[in-house]
Amino acid sequence: MSPSDLPEAAERRLGHGAFSSGLSVADFAACLEMDLEPVGLVQGFCAMQWSSYAGGLRRGMTPYGGGQGGYVENYQCPHGMISGEHRMWGQNYQQTWIEAAWTEGFSSAYSRMLEEATALGADGIVGVVDTQSSLSDAGIIEFHLLGTAVKLKGAPVATGTPWTTYLAGQRLAKLFEAGYAPVSVVAVVSSVRVWAYCMTEYLMGSGGASMWAQNTTPMEIEQVVRAQSAARAIARKSARDQLHGDSLHGADLQVLEREFEQGDVEIQTLLRGNRVRRFKEFEALPVPQPTVRLS
Amino acid sequence: MSLRPETPIDIAADVRRAATGQSMTTSGTSMMSDLSIDEELNLHAIGWEPVELVSGLSVFSTPAGMWNWGQGEITGATEAHGLAFKNALARIHQEAANAGGHGVVGVHIERTVHSSHIEVSLLGTAVRPVGSARIDMNHVFVSDLSARDFALLMVAGWEPLGLANGASFVYAPRRSVGAVFQQQTQNVELTNFTAAMYSARESAMQRMQESALALGGTGVVEVKVVEGPMRFAAHAIGFASWGTVVRLSASSHQLVRPTAVVSLNDATVTFEAATLA
Repeated sequence: MSPSDLPEAAERRLGHGAFSSGLSVADFAACLEMDLEPVGLVQGFCAMQWSSYAGGLRRGMTPYGGGQGGYVENYQCPHGMISGEHRMWGQNYQQTWIEAAWTEGFSSAYSRMLEEATALGADGIVGVVDTQSSLSDAGIIEFHLLGTAVKLKGAPVATGTPWTTYLAGQRLAKLFEAGYAPVSVVAVVSSVRVWAYCMTEYLMGSGGASMWAQNTTPMEIEQVVRAQSAARAIARKSARDQLHGDSLHGADLQVLEREFEQGDVEIQTLLRGNRVRRFKEFEALPVPQPTVRLS
Repeated sequence: MSLRPETPIDIAADVRRAATGQSMTTSGTSMMSDLSIDEELNLHAIGWEPVELVSGLSVFSTPAGMWNWGQGEITGATEAHGLAFKNALARIHQEAANAGGHGVVGVHIERTVHSSHIEVSLLGTAVRPVGSARIDMNHVFVSDLSARDFALLMVAGWEPLGLANGASFVYAPRRSVGAVFQQQTQNVELTNFTAAMYSARESAMQRMQESALALGGTGVVEVKVVEGPMRFAAHAIGFASWGTVVRLSASSHQLVRPTAVVSLNDATVTFEAATLA
């Protein structure tokens, strides 16, 4: 599906007179207060094939492969053992193709949502909700973005790309008040695969094979610490790369760990937030005062 | 200071101004934060600003086969917990200092205790007084207080110094066969249980207090004590305790008098049938 083709049903829906909005009544009221009039509920979808990215990859016979670019770290067995049972090598590596596929799915859905908003002549989209869910058992992930397109009252028809934000209602009003203009929502994923080597395996595992690890005092599990730290750092760097000098506000970072089999784990980090740009200096507020509510 | 701004806020005018697309040539650097807009406004009100999203984590192995049989404290687990917390803190501290922060607020603390390892993960926003230069890393604090609580603390003349923590893992005591037999039909205090739990809880909190003193604090606020058995070890119980270390920075505590308000935007209190039950 080319990103410029909205389904026919969408055109019919958006062409109709009445506006629809996903805003609560309170958020709706706050929007009107800001002279932002809801013009329609807009959305974008993208279904992506996913199964081959997740479990499809197996630990290979040859270590240190990959070479996809990005973060890679290798671990070598310190015991000098050669055995099929013994994990002589280990690797942490960034699964750049998963990150790229995720970005592709998200941005396709995002640009379709923008297209709907543009069709309505909107200036921006507020209260964006994004979900990524499994569509069926067939290993398909569906990216869905939904928001309320708004138009600045009395302004000429917008020509540029609409701005977008996860915020709505009073929070959005406060954002403007603080001197930030919303630019766009930002969502990035980082994916680090961990193939444990013997030390990691023994330290994380049942402990039965402690003869290899001399596991009598607590030891830091370096490979996992490095992988977890890298996953968080990569996500933050990708988000920063999308800011182009603007700021990321109200970020949310979630970490998901998926174990495919023992000693084979994917660490996925999802970082979302609002890209905002300062349009006026911050005016000092009165120092907050504690209050006692009498109601 | 007046609570009410002199001129009413004209949000619509601000929105229009933002919409004209004339962005300021940003003098400041671009920041990243996980604070809500309310929290950021609170920070700004006391002259601070967010700088960067920072994290720190650590995973420590626990000695093999220690969970199920023994008496008293499970020192390996206590030690692993302490080390994981220490390294995670050191890393978030380093990241905050690198970003030019003077401290980290609103730190989310995630701890997971597995049979073979203990993981501590920290995530928060580095903050600094608006536009200020970086400071000596030793003076950078890490705190789990929300930006709102941080602002209130500063207004009251106190400063956060760091995150104190302590833990204690113990074996639940076993009773002798004779004791079990004797107590079978009675509802009596199991004094050995009481004593073991009591002292483990006290140890965790005492360790937290020690780490607070090491940071030069006079107290710890927002102390949390979490406890409970672990799914994989029927006869072990873990206690952990943490909070933000504070010290008076002004010459004396600044009394912040609350103002009484009648809020007009709450839901009206209506009669509820359930209250009659």
